[in-house]
Amino acid sequence: MSTPAIATDALTKTYGTRSVVRDFTFRVNPGEVYALVGPNGAGKTTVIRLVAGLAFPTSGQVRILGKDPHQHPAVRRELGAVVEAPAAFYPYLTGRANLRLHADLAGGVEPGRIDEVLRLMELDDAADRKVGVYSLGMRQRLGVAAAVLTRPQVLILDEPASGMDPLSLHLVHSVLRQAAEDGTAVLLSTHHLDEVVAYCTRVAILEEGALIDEVNLFDRRERFRARVTDLAAGVRALEAQPEAVTHATIRGTELVFIPRSADDLGRVSTILAEAGVGVLEMNRDVFDLRAYYRERVSAERARRTGQLTATQDGRATGTRHGGAA
Amino acid sequence: MIPTLLRMELAKLWRLTSVRFGLALLLVFPWLWAYAPGIFEVYGFFLVSGFQVPALSLLSSMQFLLPLLVAITAAELLGTEMAHGTLPTILLRPVTRPNWLAAKLIVVALYPFLMLLLFLLASLAAGVPFGFGAFFGGTGLGEAGLLGQGMLTSGQALAEIARGYALAALALVPIGMLSLLFTVVFMNAAGGALATLATLIFMQLLVVFPSLEPFLLTTQLNAYATPASEVLWVMALIALYGALFSALAVVLFERKDF
Repeated sequence: MSTPAIATDALTKTYGTRSVVRDFTFRVNPGEVYALVGPNGAGKTTVIRLVAGLAFPTSGQVRILGKDPHQHPAVRRELGAVVEAPAAFYPYLTGRANLRLHADLAGGVEPGRIDEVLRLMELDDAADRKVGVYSLGMRQRLGVAAAVLTRPQVLILDEPASGMDPLSLHLVHSVLRQAAEDGTAVLLSTHHLDEVVAYCTRVAILEEGALIDEVNLFDRRERFRARVTDLAAGVRALEAQPEAVTHATIRGTELVFIPRSADDLGRVSTILAEAGVGVLEMNRDVFDLRAYYRERVSAERARRTGQLTATQDGRATGTRHGGAA
Repeated sequence: MIPTLLRMELAKLWRLTSVRFGLALLLVFPWLWAYAPGIFEVYGFFLVSGFQVPALSLLSSMQFLLPLLVAITAAELLGTEMAHGTLPTILLRPVTRPNWLAAKLIVVALYPFLMLLLFLLASLAAGVPFGFGAFFGGTGLGEAGLLGQGMLTSGQALAEIARGYALAALALVPIGMLSLLFTVVFMNAAGGALATLATLIFMQLLVVFPSLEPFLLTTQLNAYATPASEVLWVMALIALYGALFSALAVVLFERKDF
């Protein structure tokens, strides 16, 4: 099994008596885009800063490419990050000079790379203007340019969509998606659930510093549902073809499945027909992350409130809904 | 990595408001004092040589103005990184925290020397109308004060001034380190500078404890007039203060959350 690009074990951060992050364990593999979502104050930014090595965990561990970033600062050569929103630069230097400074601190980049990332982020016209006159969106794009400057294996971004117009947002998404396709592990925190659904692989939902759910969006995105004449026979038929379908199950009155590829989707009808199962209707199973998120966060809050009420009443110490999912 | 960081920090130093303001002030200051109408009433002497202007500049600024400028600049050098939000951005690069702070400490240690070199040049320029020939008296920075011990040649006068200014710059170094230490503690420039000034004022009040006085940081601000026999002791004490404040700043910075 390959080393995860980012790994945490029971990551905990406490300020005084207040826990900001609690026992958070997660992994991001190369080529994955992993999102942290949650209400304000859920601990997303703290997690980002702990993983980036800017803050120290109270307990637990962080590993970047298998190494503790505090004990092995050199591992930061493989790390690109934007941890401020908007991204922070020296306002009296030009965009190009700021990137040159980042390149020097990283030990240098290949000739032409600075111009390349400026072009990539559509900042070539503004490259020789002082960052102090940049708009919020331009600073954020320059932040992404600085993050990808050294072609890092790990990208960490806190609110990359902050202050961006739709075109800039699209640009940043395409750069991050391309980086992931090239094998970079991307960790980002965001409030924009649409961007999460658009290109993230997995999403962690945080509430009060704790992980309450982790959703594999890749599976969700590629999921299909079908109304068929015989649900049980349909599931059996698809499960017998693991080279075409990775997952098949019954949900209510529908058969839900995940084809291995777009080509295999066409094979599903044939497999079901050969098993004598008629297909009445087949659709992509659109996952509503927004609704799911609301439901999970509300449930967690209700669970905590119930726990709190019970404790205050002094009649019970258990939770109303049991443990988090 | 340290040369890159030092280059960066020197470039930042020049852009600081406090540096530009401070240096402009130091260019003007000797002219105001050398030709001030009340100089005899306040200090009880007349200038007889251009070589006495640097001493006059130092005497009137070493107890408050110069420590203030050094404290503010040191605090601003780190504080602006926090204000601009660039501190976390830089720390994300493969730069160790001690190296990054060491570059700042080196620049803060260099700054009093650069500042006093300019102050000395401005003072000498203001002294041109008094002439730079041999004269009866002292520069004010030697052991015989302004009265001197007879005839002083230009070379001897220049050597006394250079020695006095070098010791004065050295005495300001721990103040810069202290300011940087407080800025690390409070994580903002104003807090760092004000805490440094409060500490210096408090130390000045400690002169009521005569046994403590020789060891106080504020006592070392008079190092420029130290007799040759005590120079090594004073320099060692200043170095000790500087090393202590720097080490504390590095240790605290190493464990800070950003």
